[in-house]
Amino acid sequence: MNKDRMMRGVGAALKWVFLLTLIAFTLYPVIYALLGSLKSNYELTLGGHLFPEVWKFENYMDAFTRGRFGLYTFNSLMVAGLVSLLSLVTSSMAGYVFARRQFRGKGFIMSLYMAFMFISLGSVTIYPLFVLFSRMKLTKTIIAMALVMTGGQASNVFLVTGFIKSVPKELDEAAFIDGCTPFQVFIIMILPMIRSILAVVLLFSFRSAWNDYITPLIMTIGNAKLRTLTVAVVQLKYSSNAAAEWQIMLAGASIALIPVLILYIFTHKQFISGLLSGAVKA
Amino acid sequence: MVFTIQSKNKAVGMTLAHRKARRRDTARSYAMLAPNLILFLLISVYPVIWALQYMFYRYDGMSAKKFIGLGNFVRVFTRDPQFWQAVLNTFKYAGLKIVFMLPLAFVTALLINNTKRRYAAIQAVIFSPTIMSSAVMALVFYLLFNVYSGEINKLLINIGWIVKPINWLGREMAMTTVLIVAIWGGLGNYMVYFLAGLQQISPEMYESADLDGASALTKMFRITIPLLGPVLKVILMLSLINAFQDMTSIMVLTGGGPFNSTNVMYLYIYNQYYPSSEASSFLPQYGYGAAVSVVAAAIVGVITIAYIQISKKLDDVY
Repeated sequence: MNKDRMMRGVGAALKWVFLLTLIAFTLYPVIYALLGSLKSNYELTLGGHLFPEVWKFENYMDAFTRGRFGLYTFNSLMVAGLVSLLSLVTSSMAGYVFARRQFRGKGFIMSLYMAFMFISLGSVTIYPLFVLFSRMKLTKTIIAMALVMTGGQASNVFLVTGFIKSVPKELDEAAFIDGCTPFQVFIIMILPMIRSILAVVLLFSFRSAWNDYITPLIMTIGNAKLRTLTVAVVQLKYSSNAAAEWQIMLAGASIALIPVLILYIFTHKQFISGLLSGAVKA
Repeated sequence: MVFTIQSKNKAVGMTLAHRKARRRDTARSYAMLAPNLILFLLISVYPVIWALQYMFYRYDGMSAKKFIGLGNFVRVFTRDPQFWQAVLNTFKYAGLKIVFMLPLAFVTALLINNTKRRYAAIQAVIFSPTIMSSAVMALVFYLLFNVYSGEINKLLINIGWIVKPINWLGREMAMTTVLIVAIWGGLGNYMVYFLAGLQQISPEMYESADLDGASALTKMFRITIPLLGPVLKVILMLSLINAFQDMTSIMVLTGGGPFNSTNVMYLYIYNQYYPSSEASSFLPQYGYGAAVSVVAAAIVGVITIAYIQISKKLDDVY
């Protein structure tokens, strides 16, 4: 009996050692970035301390003035906002059409969407789009970047489709029989019912646009003014005095991280449940 | 006579009206689908068609494109050891990532999946890397793993595990470092998938096993793992496809170097299109890169199909 209790104690201890190690492993790089952004470059490269000895808030001032991070933050916000809006509008309507409407070509289109979720030609695909959009004079604005990032939204469309299928049909069918057009049914009946999944779509598309690196990197070649935060931060690595500017790199990294971290603190439940409802379909 | 003609006309009219209504119905469906469908065709489909055409050309964006038939493919398969090195690296990377990450994610999910408490906060913390920019975090790791000024070496020396600093981004260790960062970024995602699978197993299974006096190990191998089978299959497939397509954090961390030791397929393709000083060529090779990307997509496709076939076979065995 006593041995049994001891075994359980050892088990619990091992479990917590494992979990705490994992938590430390997960959080350490983030804490390093956030606290490091408040150290001097000298202190950073000297290392050894978690907390700054002298709190250098002026690193952020430096990043915003010398590093033009105000502009990049604005760009990131605009792109992520535009992508979220476009995703929300287009994927909710498409999701409704796939879930509720019967029409010719639906099966074919849906399997096309499905196929393109798994096929990837990598960064090849951005080049023809860049050429196309620059002919349309759109690469001088963030619109081209936002359109490329929005893309086909296949995963968001299927998220909405799956959700609408789980909502009982009777209500919106009744409205349809009463003479509403499909669009009216969508606006009046469907939208209020699918708010929770639309919140997930909003979060997912905001996050992926805010965090994307390759697309804005390619789309802003030759146009540094349009760079987003991620591109601007990573470019610091390649600048000539990178070794002397760790504090600016970390301030930039923190500026890119803090908004999503704050968002995540309030919405982690939606992130996780959204991931699951997508995974169940797959 | 008159009557029959009339009724016939009426019937024709009916079907016409009916057909018209149906056509209008279809048009309305397409009108609502259009914004998404147009974006999908433009952003997802058009570039693939473009690549399928340009893979037969030599084109650097400056001089006129030149049709060379299967020339690009001949080059991939006979004269491009660097690409095959990248393919090999991709297999190594994907294999090791999955082998280390999935068991870790599974164990974490098991420990968190407590029937009494859900440990929502721990789950949220371990999932959190998923919401951060992998490029930005790769830059942070790049500083952490710096040979002389990085905190990792400082820490390891301070606690006495090593005497000389480890060159984390050097030829020997770069792949390991890339893998550590990849596991950091991916673990939470797969832990949540495993948790979803575990929560589908009804607690009564365990209760009745407890009544039978089953040990923890028996429960694990007789209940948890078999019932997790279908979920595990999906998880393996997703992690396989994702691992083969990873490139962002590798690009920031090592740029594929040193000496191509961490160059993976999709990073190799990127460098064909946007050559940097780290890549071998300095002019973009749009035609050749398109051909390589089709080969890479085919490799991922073959692996996925092979995996599905194998897991079906295993189904028959069990």
